[in-house]
Amino acid sequence: MRVARVPWSPLLLLSPALLFVVVFIAFPVGTELWFSVSNAQVGELGSFVGASNFTYLVQQGTYHDALINTTVYTAVSIGAKAVLGMALALALARSFTGRRLVYALIFLPFIFPTVTGTMAWYYFFSNVHGAINWTLMTWGLSRDGIDWLGSFGPLPMASLITVNVWHGVGLFVILLLAGLRSIPRDVLDTALVDGAREWQRFVHVILPLLRPAFALAAVLSIMGTFGDFAIVHVLTNGGPANHTQTVTHMAFLVALRDGDLGVSSAIAFSLIPVYLVAVAYMLRTVVRV
Amino acid sequence: MIARRIGWALFLGMMVAFAMLPLYWMLVVSLKTGKSQLVSGNPWWPENFTVDHYRGLLTDPSFGRLILNTAVVTGMTIVISLVASILAGFALVYYRLKRSRGIAFGLFASYLLPPGLLFLPIALMLTHLRLTDSVLAMIITYPSLVIPFGTWVLWMFFNRLPTDVLDLARAEGARPMQILRYVLLPLSVPALAAVALFAVAVVFNDYLYAFTLVNDPNSRTLMADVGSNLVDIDDPGPTFAEIMLGMAPMALLCAFFADTFSRGLATGVVE
Repeated sequence: MRVARVPWSPLLLLSPALLFVVVFIAFPVGTELWFSVSNAQVGELGSFVGASNFTYLVQQGTYHDALINTTVYTAVSIGAKAVLGMALALALARSFTGRRLVYALIFLPFIFPTVTGTMAWYYFFSNVHGAINWTLMTWGLSRDGIDWLGSFGPLPMASLITVNVWHGVGLFVILLLAGLRSIPRDVLDTALVDGAREWQRFVHVILPLLRPAFALAAVLSIMGTFGDFAIVHVLTNGGPANHTQTVTHMAFLVALRDGDLGVSSAIAFSLIPVYLVAVAYMLRTVVRV
Repeated sequence: MIARRIGWALFLGMMVAFAMLPLYWMLVVSLKTGKSQLVSGNPWWPENFTVDHYRGLLTDPSFGRLILNTAVVTGMTIVISLVASILAGFALVYYRLKRSRGIAFGLFASYLLPPGLLFLPIALMLTHLRLTDSVLAMIITYPSLVIPFGTWVLWMFFNRLPTDVLDLARAEGARPMQILRYVLLPLSVPALAAVALFAVAVVFNDYLYAFTLVNDPNSRTLMADVGSNLVDIDDPGPTFAEIMLGMAPMALLCAFFADTFSRGLATGVVE
């Protein structure tokens, strides 16, 4: 007896993936869209209030701070990750004993649970008996220790960026290394030959070929940093006095602490312009539609 | 030449130290006694060494429960994500739809959406469906974070395979599912491994969903349990022993596949 053939239509094959996207992405975005133009609170859908959530936000000083902080946090982190990631990829492109282990250890923070790693960093930076201050004081480099997370200068943001780089540099390394490997052997050999013009070869030969790898790593990393909640929440909780408050963390805070879904959604939607730019850039650089 | 090699070695050594320092510190904490150990004593060396925290975990049935929950959630996330991504990626390549490219990129774009936009409605929806007290909440939520990106990666990878392989199989009269199973999948191991690793990374790096969607302690994953212990850290030894014993081995194992990850992730994208 012949078993009836299942008509594997493309739609049928796509349906599991599309189901997840509709239920867990399209539906939530639609819901947030409604929240952002309503006075919804936790537990009630609210009613239409037009653009008042957005006009309210524009008048908030804390929101302006969050926008600036998010920009600084993302821009500096991405820059540092790109430079370190490139250097690491170049170092790991050579073959040497123990390379596999070194590669694994460098990649490990990317796959290690973020909250726990960030918690360790919290106790590094902690000002009273933190591991860094303990070391500085024991070695006599500092008398009272440094207030890494609680001072009003650039230190809390620098601490956040350090943890972000610690966690995220691995993504740049693996993508840039894959990019380096895809460069034809002879091009790479010529470019890696020692000599006065090595740097020029790197800039003019290798870097342009790595553009798609950089683009993918940068876009993934930028959206990841914009959307970061765990690092900011555990390390500084947006403080001191909103000095490290970011847009995403503020959106969660307003929703979970104040229960104000309308304003929270409006805050979350303010990342959309950046999102659209990132997507458009990917379309041009990587997908080449 | 020698100086250059020493330079690279120094740089790599420093970066490995940077990457490993927090993990080393956690290991030290897990091997120390004392409730106030986080605020006193040498943070870099276990002066009052003990393995009691580990012994305690191994005899604690609730730790076994956490490991089981984490394994189930991670395993199911991998399986569901792989199946859905494979079928979708295959459909987009095999049927050469006019809109394949658009659909694939649309999926990728949906992966990039800020989590701040998705989290609350998902939490409200799952609460409404009364799913928040079981591992099911995570098992159905995590794949939605993996599938869009996974489908895109597989689509890119399938596209890079020589088209005559597909055409030949088609000419031989192979049915779509046979082509997928006997032709495409065996050639796509790096990409499949990359999607599986990506799923592990999503589950391991998540804090929000694990922490907020599950209220029942019996249904928690390691991530949620550790997260809730870290909020008010009273006795750090057992918590950090839990991290070292429950999470570190799996993370390290995955890290050794960094090469596979990069090959699967990058084929078709950076080449």
